[in-house]
Amino acid sequence: MSTTDFIKQVQNKEIDVVEHTHKVLEEIKKINKEYNYFNTISEELALEQAKSVKKNPKGRLAGLPVSVKDCIVVKGVESRAGSKILSGYKPVFDATVIEKVKAEGAIIIGKTAQDEFGFGGFSVNVGVGMKIPLNPFDKNRACGGSSGGAAGIAQKISFPHIAIGESTGGSIVNPASFCGVVGLCPTYGRVSRYGLMDYANSLDKIGAIGKTVEETAMMLSVISGFDEKDSTSINKPAENYENVVGKIVKNMKIGVIKESLEEGTDKEIKSDIIKAVKGFEELGVKHEEISLPLTMKYGVEAYYLTAMSETSTNLAKFCGMRYGKHEKLEGGFNQYFSKVRSANFGEEAKRRVIIGTFARMAGFRDAYYIKAAQVRTKIIEEYKKAFKKVDCLVSPTMPVVAPKFSEIKKLTPLQNYMMDILTVGPNLAGLPHVTVPCGIKDGMPVGLMLVGNHLMEGKLLQLAAAYEQK
Amino acid sequence: MTKKFTSDIVIGLEIHAELATDTKLFCSCPTHGSDEPNTRTCPVCLGHPGSKPVLNEKALKYALKLCLALGCKISPDLIFSRKSYFYPDMAKNYQISQYEIPLGEKGKLSLKAGKSVGITRVHMEEDPAALVHTGSIQKSPFVLVDYNRSGDPLVEIVTEPELTSPEEARDFMKQLITVLNYLGIFDISRCVIKADANISIKESGYTRAEIKNITGFKEIERALNFEVQRQKHDVAEGKKIVHETRAWDSQKGMTFSLRQKEVEEEYGYIIDPDLVRIEITKDLIEEAKAEMPELAQDKILKYVNKYRIKKEDAEVIAQERLLAELFEKVASEIDPVLAAKWLRRELVRVLNYNKKEMHELEIDESHIIDLLRLVESKKITDTTGQKLMEKLVEKPFDVRKYIEKEGLAVVADKGALEKFCKEAIDENPKAVEDFKSGNEKSIQFLIGQVMRKTKGTAAPKEVNEILKKLLK
Repeated sequence: MSTTDFIKQVQNKEIDVVEHTHKVLEEIKKINKEYNYFNTISEELALEQAKSVKKNPKGRLAGLPVSVKDCIVVKGVESRAGSKILSGYKPVFDATVIEKVKAEGAIIIGKTAQDEFGFGGFSVNVGVGMKIPLNPFDKNRACGGSSGGAAGIAQKISFPHIAIGESTGGSIVNPASFCGVVGLCPTYGRVSRYGLMDYANSLDKIGAIGKTVEETAMMLSVISGFDEKDSTSINKPAENYENVVGKIVKNMKIGVIKESLEEGTDKEIKSDIIKAVKGFEELGVKHEEISLPLTMKYGVEAYYLTAMSETSTNLAKFCGMRYGKHEKLEGGFNQYFSKVRSANFGEEAKRRVIIGTFARMAGFRDAYYIKAAQVRTKIIEEYKKAFKKVDCLVSPTMPVVAPKFSEIKKLTPLQNYMMDILTVGPNLAGLPHVTVPCGIKDGMPVGLMLVGNHLMEGKLLQLAAAYEQK
Repeated sequence: MTKKFTSDIVIGLEIHAELATDTKLFCSCPTHGSDEPNTRTCPVCLGHPGSKPVLNEKALKYALKLCLALGCKISPDLIFSRKSYFYPDMAKNYQISQYEIPLGEKGKLSLKAGKSVGITRVHMEEDPAALVHTGSIQKSPFVLVDYNRSGDPLVEIVTEPELTSPEEARDFMKQLITVLNYLGIFDISRCVIKADANISIKESGYTRAEIKNITGFKEIERALNFEVQRQKHDVAEGKKIVHETRAWDSQKGMTFSLRQKEVEEEYGYIIDPDLVRIEITKDLIEEAKAEMPELAQDKILKYVNKYRIKKEDAEVIAQERLLAELFEKVASEIDPVLAAKWLRRELVRVLNYNKKEMHELEIDESHIIDLLRLVESKKITDTTGQKLMEKLVEKPFDVRKYIEKEGLAVVADKGALEKFCKEAIDENPKAVEDFKSGNEKSIQFLIGQVMRKTKGTAAPKEVNEILKKLLK
């Protein structure tokens, strides 16, 4: 049953939402035992909501199970951003996106697994003592990250469902691509970040993961729009993005990113992308090659310096004083803070705090933090120039298919960061992007990434849906 | 850097003043109200994960007015930075402040004597929480944190090191408080103003000590006077003055070392990515300007040049915005010189005596005008006027009716006055004898008797003349 049909049936009271929610909870508990997609299953909240939706089955997401990435706060439900340091933290408020989906009748089923605070591309950098989510196609492989749990459950669940994910440098499209589902990351500022636990505030974006383009479009229609509680939110009302699904794309134009098909990208993946471009051709979509030399050369560096500088300040508040994990009070405040942070941050979190702090120190900040901001401006200019010629840019989402855990262990931190080479560009530039499955290699899904101009989610989703339905 | 200094003492100030907005700088929690700990808080000022700051635009306007009043160059954009350091009073372990580009730069403020002191910068920032100790900081077994203050709006005003004495530092603070009061952006009854002072002396080659958290302009002079003596004493004893941070103990009247400053503090500033740049438009500046009153220093000039009153009177009156406003209203009806004299001398005297502030005064200009009209036309004596002023400050009443009722008008009838004088002479033969035997002063006693008989309504000069005539 399609999600749209499901919601209609709920609205018409043809489905008992409480009964259905029980079934969904049973299934995700079972899946979770095997695959570790959830850090918390919010059974109590889900059933409470189901009862209220049963009485009043209105709303655009009536009765629909929605999973939420752990870093987005849900009132009263343990929210940890995948970190041990937030153990036991039950937020006192709902994130704006949660308020919105609740108001439309969605059922919050749980908080999905992620790399701690979003620090990774494979969901292996989970918090101390937490479990790594496994790829739905092959349990020896990663889900991708950092919204790994979200993409995994989106693929594995048998019921209609949409996941709310979050992307800083590619954390929506990366796992969606590795798990063979659709991931949508909107324009920076299109969706309120209020209630999102910050990784890097100038880069963080909340988006959606689902089995179809339409599902992600439906979710964006609900969660986007201006929010006075987030100063960076764009003052533009939400649109009905699902309306673009099925619209004719003839005479639109895509640009194939030249560098994305060169060295570093798997050959079979390259041929899948070329096939996809041919598919667009059959739909009457024109194409040309676009080169983004600056983005491809400096994107990863600019991304990591910016993200780590910001994150090293964001993580400072976690010190065992006001919320989350506490330790035995001993010594001065510096010793206490150090003890809490040493014991409860994972290795990658510590690495990023250290590098980020270094990059913004007097004497270094000009060379790193400030320089990265300048490069970022240049990268935006490079994209803007490209969008004068084409409606969307296409490339593989990831240069490889989901790697095995044994392979990931062998990667150096730098090799690990280079995996983000194709996704950091649109994330640095704040551009909307979407991944759709476009092939299979070694039994593992391959993703095609489409990148649109700022606030052009409609056009982006129109092209993605046309390709998906072909 | 030290080469440019030539004065015996070099002082620079960093002053933090709390802006009198009703809500905090980045959330809508109230800045005043209940003092029960941690009741005026929300996820934003508690630094809860996921919460985000949103600028209070009123605070921006207040800060902008201060920048304009100090003649600062205004930044084209408002940009906030994160100042990172770990401390238990910080909700986020960074403070939202301004770094590279402050709201205002390169301003100035004149001291009473006319000396102009350079303002390096004026910027906005949030207040941290308050740490509460039981007993003294040194002995308290624990520390409590009260977040009611967390996120209150502050302006920091940094001066050039151009102050050359503790008196100047005091005067600077006083002038600044006057400006803040005039602008209506500071509420003396609840807003805190604190200064950090950098001070050095010639004898040490200008090695500076920073004295933290001095509250009030009187305290600053005391603290700096102590510090000058300490530094001179140490140099004289052959001790080396070190670059350090010191605290001021107001009760003991001395400064003490907190920590040495071997390196500058490292705050790892980044631009706060949760807050967008806000353009300081011409419209916004014009709007702020339009709402600004005429400031004290302009008023002093006006009073001296237009109203022809004494500079000292003008300074006292202009220092206090409410007094200045009252003066201007009165001076539109009454001779300004007379008005200035009565407000500056009598009203201020009576207020001080009653320990009252201008804002507690219940009378308005009409009472003062009524009173001074009577004085001006000599219908009442100065003595009566003074007494009336004392009563008016206690509680307002209709001055003219009161005079009629109490019969306090000047005894204008010479015949009646002569009668009182004769009575006084008859009743006090001893004083008369003393006067006649050459003790001129004893006539004062007789005048006093006449004044008592006339309830102070007689003009002393006239009584004096009549008495002398009668005693010839």
